[in-house]
Amino acid sequence: MTDENHLGTMDDQRPPATGSDPAAAPVGAPRAPLPDREAPTAPAHDGAAAAVLGKQTAPGIAVTDLNAHYGAQHAIRSVSLDYAPNRVTAMIGPSGSGKSTVLRCLNRMHEEIPGAVATGKVMLDSDDIYGPSVDVVAVRRAIGMVFQKPNPFPTMSIFDNVAAGLKLNGIRGVDLKERVEQSLRGASLWEEVKDRLQEPGIGLSGGQQQRLCIARTIAVEPQVILMDEPCSALDPIATLKIEELIADLKQRFTIVIVTHNMQQAARVADTTAFFLSGELIEHAPTDQVFTNPGDSRTEEYVTGKFG
Amino acid sequence: MSALAGVSSRRRSTDQVMRGLLLAGTLIALVPLILVIYYLLKKGLGAWSWDFFTTDPTGNFLGDQGGVKSAILGTIEMVLLASIIAIPLGWGVGLYLVEYGRGSRFAAVVRYFVDVMTGVPSIVFGLFIYIVVVLNGWGGSSFAGWKGSLALGLLMLPVVTRSAEVVLLLVPDGLREAALALGTPRWRVTMKVVLPTALPGLITGSLLAVARAAGETAPLLFTATIVQSTTFNLNDRMNSLPVQIYTDIGSPNDQLVARAWGSALALVALILITTLVARLASRRSRL
Amino acid sequence: MAHQTRQHFADELQRVETQALGGLDLVTGQLDRVLEALEHQDVELAAMVIANDDLIDGRYLEVHQGLLSLFALQAPVAGDLRIVAALLHVMKNIERMGDQCVNIAKTIPLTGHEPPVREEVLERILRMGRAARWEITQAKAAFAARDVAMAEDLLVRDSELNLLNREVFQIAIDIGVDPDTREWATHMVMVARAIERIGDNAVDIGEQTAFVVTGLFREFSDSSHPQRQM
Repeated sequence: MTDENHLGTMDDQRPPATGSDPAAAPVGAPRAPLPDREAPTAPAHDGAAAAVLGKQTAPGIAVTDLNAHYGAQHAIRSVSLDYAPNRVTAMIGPSGSGKSTVLRCLNRMHEEIPGAVATGKVMLDSDDIYGPSVDVVAVRRAIGMVFQKPNPFPTMSIFDNVAAGLKLNGIRGVDLKERVEQSLRGASLWEEVKDRLQEPGIGLSGGQQQRLCIARTIAVEPQVILMDEPCSALDPIATLKIEELIADLKQRFTIVIVTHNMQQAARVADTTAFFLSGELIEHAPTDQVFTNPGDSRTEEYVTGKFG
Repeated sequence: MSALAGVSSRRRSTDQVMRGLLLAGTLIALVPLILVIYYLLKKGLGAWSWDFFTTDPTGNFLGDQGGVKSAILGTIEMVLLASIIAIPLGWGVGLYLVEYGRGSRFAAVVRYFVDVMTGVPSIVFGLFIYIVVVLNGWGGSSFAGWKGSLALGLLMLPVVTRSAEVVLLLVPDGLREAALALGTPRWRVTMKVVLPTALPGLITGSLLAVARAAGETAPLLFTATIVQSTTFNLNDRMNSLPVQIYTDIGSPNDQLVARAWGSALALVALILITTLVARLASRRSRL
Repeated sequence: MAHQTRQHFADELQRVETQALGGLDLVTGQLDRVLEALEHQDVELAAMVIANDDLIDGRYLEVHQGLLSLFALQAPVAGDLRIVAALLHVMKNIERMGDQCVNIAKTIPLTGHEPPVREEVLERILRMGRAARWEITQAKAAFAARDVAMAEDLLVRDSELNLLNREVFQIAIDIGVDPDTREWATHMVMVARAIERIGDNAVDIGEQTAFVVTGLFREFSDSSHPQRQM
């Protein structure tokens, strides 16, 4: 695996560009260092809520030699990659490239499919989630997921939906009302629903439903949030609202997002990983991927020269 | 010359003919239904009276024959017990097939046999219970209400299972995934997310099975048989509407025959009410 | 790639690039004419050069608009983005080169009908002109072919131009006491400077070529650190 694929934290010092000496400037490092993309200058929409909910920093995920199969089909081939803490990492690639499969391996949802198997090391902090005695349920509480099609529970109210993660798992000792409010604020939905918390969750618009699902996910206080094409079923305005939300959320969580929409990856992600036929081709800072990608296959894909 | 051609007259007439044929077919199919309802009402309504519903059949050939209270109550009791047996079992099998067994060979085999069972004639269930449970005198009695319930339960089971499976499959996988992704153990996902979502549909399917069981005669002939008096002891022989009708309709006494029609009408009414409740329940379904 | 997924975009990008590089042909034409005017003291030809600069300005506007449309409508990224960004720079360079030609043309009427021409100066000026013309052609070929080596070679050619420029300057200083001659020599210094600027613009186009190919922007020579040349 080349160094490109093991991205350290974004705080690593970039070697200063040396002007006219071509040998010293590594491929992909432009002459003038680009502005630090993820410097959080704007506070979260509800800074108070964010502060109270704690967990200002989240761990990253380090994947080593991940392989996944659907029965006999080898879907993910020896993927190794690091997801930096409190950053947004996007995974892009054509259909069938394996990016969704990799995502589902990160919270062990992949193995819920009959006949599906995943092997390898996926380290959350210092724990390998594929370790021999690891409880899958605990993994999923630490690593949450938001799906492509918003899926609030139809039999539950807005309040119950957000509290579902806590109630379904019998988690006690939590002030539900407070947690629900904080989660809805964290998902930029509180103002819109605070007066109708008892109404059914499915009565909301598509964009609101997706934010409801995000609130539901963050209510259990995970460390990582996985997003599987979260905006592809939404209209452009709802999409932009969620992208804004992602920029806020990364202050508290590590975020991994799979998207078909390259412009979206360009807008929200700090680093972007490009997959093709089950392999990781390139993982680099997003602006590099979209101005000067290292691999010609990445270049072909982002410029749309192959579909 | 307009680019939009008009509908040719040939197409128009073909359209008319097809509509006519379909309408005719529908009317033909409706005729027996209407006739049945007509006859039921005509012949059965006359037998209805306060006594009809509140007195037991006396068994007298002449004189006061009594009503069919024990039959109505017996049907209700036996079908209730059959439901208690069959519905949870049926839902359980359905849940297994959908939540845990999807794609497994064992589940495919189970599904196959359930399908087979839906086609088994009801008399076979009756005979089965008769041979195994009645003749061997289980529970210290020969014929008994609960044995009739067993037979009815066997009849209901495949129907409940099949309808449960269909409804559970309608629950979108997205809901299961969402619950799993929150870190919920699978059994909790099934109990607290899938089941509540599917509940209205499950109830509808079950009520339809109930309606079917209420009207079956053959299983009861060999298991609960017939008795005149109202009893709440399920370990004893018990009366039921289908059997009562069966007994009365062959009688040379016109009044008994009339009572049979009245019972038939009562049975249909009972089933109608059950089905209506099922429909109302399904309207609340969010699937 | 026989038929690309974004054929329409590729065609449009090619069209705009051809249009932009075509501006270099306009410049060489201008340069040829102004050098001839200089050689034969042809005031009318000089006026024509000044008037024709409108063509170059027009080309600039056309290409600029085309590039803006590509940005807005096609959202180019990676290599395509670099091409579009580079063409913006290149077009500016072309426009400047055109302006330098005009500056040269403007000196011709000023030197009067029978200027006291000194052969050693004029000969060098004409040589500079030819070298600059060669640089323009090479810059165009390098960009079109995405040839970084050819682009880097421009610096070598340009050093020749710089040398001649310094020589002209030196000769002008020592030209003597005659005021007419000194006046003419001063104009020639300005002409030499203009041609040298044309050469610099051609080198800039070479730098853009390297940027398109490698994704790195590097000045081939840094005028503030003359010793650190390539």
